[in-house]
Amino acid sequence: MSERMTRPQIPLEEGVITPGSTCQGCGAAMAARLTFKVMGPNVIRHGIPCCPDQSSKSPSTGSVFEGGGPCLTGTARALKALGRTDIKAIAFFGDGGTYDIGFGGLMSAAQRNENVFVVTKDNEAYMNTGGQHSGGSPKYAETTTDAVGPNSRGSPVHKINAAFAFAAMNIPYIATASVAFPEDLMAKVKYAKDIEGFRILLIQSPCPVGWRYDPAKTIEVARSGVQSGIWPLYEIENGSSFKLNYKPKELKPITEYLKPQARFRHMTETEVNEIQVYTTAKWEKYLKADELKQIVF
Amino acid sequence: MVDYEVMVGNKACAVACKLARVKVAAAFPITPQTSITEYLSELYASGEMPGFEFVNAEGELSAQIIVQAAARVGARSFTCTAGPGLQFMHHPMNDTASGRTPLVMAVVHRGLKSMQPDHSDLMDQSWLGWVHLYVENAQEILDTTIMGYKIGEDARVRLPVAVGYDGYVLSYTAEPVEIPPQDMIDNWLPPYKPPRSLFYDSPEAPIGRGGGDRGGGDPNMAWKIHHGAVEAAESVIKEVTADWAKLTGRSYGNGMIQEYKTEGAEVILTAMGTVAGSASAAVDKLWKDGKKVGLVKIRSFVPFPRKDFQELAGKYSAIGVFDRSIQPGMGGPSYREIKNSLFDTGSYPVVAGFVGGLSGKEVTVNDFVKLGEKTLEFAKAKKADAHPIWV
Repeated sequence: MSERMTRPQIPLEEGVITPGSTCQGCGAAMAARLTFKVMGPNVIRHGIPCCPDQSSKSPSTGSVFEGGGPCLTGTARALKALGRTDIKAIAFFGDGGTYDIGFGGLMSAAQRNENVFVVTKDNEAYMNTGGQHSGGSPKYAETTTDAVGPNSRGSPVHKINAAFAFAAMNIPYIATASVAFPEDLMAKVKYAKDIEGFRILLIQSPCPVGWRYDPAKTIEVARSGVQSGIWPLYEIENGSSFKLNYKPKELKPITEYLKPQARFRHMTETEVNEIQVYTTAKWEKYLKADELKQIVF
Repeated sequence: MVDYEVMVGNKACAVACKLARVKVAAAFPITPQTSITEYLSELYASGEMPGFEFVNAEGELSAQIIVQAAARVGARSFTCTAGPGLQFMHHPMNDTASGRTPLVMAVVHRGLKSMQPDHSDLMDQSWLGWVHLYVENAQEILDTTIMGYKIGEDARVRLPVAVGYDGYVLSYTAEPVEIPPQDMIDNWLPPYKPPRSLFYDSPEAPIGRGGGDRGGGDPNMAWKIHHGAVEAAESVIKEVTADWAKLTGRSYGNGMIQEYKTEGAEVILTAMGTVAGSASAAVDKLWKDGKKVGLVKIRSFVPFPRKDFQELAGKYSAIGVFDRSIQPGMGGPSYREIKNSLFDTGSYPVVAGFVGGLSGKEVTVNDFVKLGEKTLEFAKAKKADAHPIWV
């Protein structure tokens, strides 16, 4: 598991190229900045279409939208064949590339335990193209393809629990992070980058345009997501060892997270309650797993 | 020392990978390609190829992306597929070519309407700007796979190369194959070096967003450059084939086409792939009967041997084109390309478009004898039957 990082330990140097092409208050831009502060120079960064298209100061390559997993695989295998295992194959993708259009290829790469590090900035829809539904879209969120009307209440399904799907592949390291908890995020990047095998970090990255909130509030939205149990911060090693990294004495009500976001404004009280019950029940399970230090299944 | 072995076409392909010192291979098994993948798995397991990485990809889509990425990083890469598997690769295949990524892919022909061979699978990919070579026998598979790396990696080309050969009749048929010695190939084919290193400690490493030949302000430019690269492949194919003939003593015409008994012929037939073997036997028979019919085997479909056909046009009164595929509503692909090539020359031999051998339908020596005789009749009548003439 990652070790606590303190503020003085945060590197001063920047790893991303600025200015980027991001909107004001972009959570993903913050995720990129924090990630590449600690990633180090010895990487080949993989991109696929995603939003925002971040540039790091590291050499990069990329592939087709669905090609994240196999593209990383090809790089990692080539580096091994050429005797350059000092260079790491890393990814900086979006949620769609990770667990929607790119899910199959990435799952198979995980099953083969390819020596790659996937960093996913999860903004919960295809924000690149204007906010269409992805496997990362949460239930009831209005997206441009989950319109709200008499026949539709926004996204009809829960967000994919990607961390646990990857855990089923018994890979060395999985973690979640939030842009509102930068030390935790960077400690996880620092820890994961040197592990051998498939590792993945899922960073919740609020999108003011797609989630429809005031761009000044990105950190507040992200923080309330963690504090309400919607986006818990945890680590899973080798498919079972479990650690919850942030445990408030009491969860904040999910309304603190939902309210500022206009994508949820159509939700009825019953629907909010349903999500509250769902979130609390999950949280209990995370607490239990943390107590046992492992996922029991 | 030159070695001989009786082997099936698919083994000849795997042996060529070993000789070319392929570093990364990824494939998904599909009949009739499967045994290449199995041979590669054995080569990996045995440790015969030091530093070789073999990936059992979860599908052809991923197989294509894996080798594309590996080749970009600088590893000589190989994949192989057939029929529907090739169609499944279509999307990333575009990236492999547009990104100017040299690698070799064996396409063991399996038609799109049955599991049996015809050329519809590879013809279906002809918009993507790969180099498409069609071969006739197991020896030619081995030779062309190795030549494919030399052609594709040439700085004037930098393109992926597809080596197409008919499933079953060639993939699973054993023939004696001459295996060139490893040191001879090592001297002839140096290790692959990508045009631009992706390693952070190299001064040429691209920083930030990668990008190929995007052509600045002109949106046409990427297409212009790609078109130019495929056209440039023609002279490189010719050079490499001549060079290979010097090295091994085995000659495949000028690389683009291979002529057989065309000297003094009245008319010619054309064929691609394994049926060219039956066609050459038919040509022997026709000459014996005093019928002057030559054969032109088309080895490269992309780029198309346009110049060669323009030169041939004035010499013969008719060309009988045999296509082992047909694009519904559009016709036989090599028939169209040949007619297209001849238009500007001002000499118009009669061009007959035969279509057959689809979905594995057998095309015999006698069939080709009849096609030769028909082509002679068309020459005399100065007119061919309407295309397609079904065989």
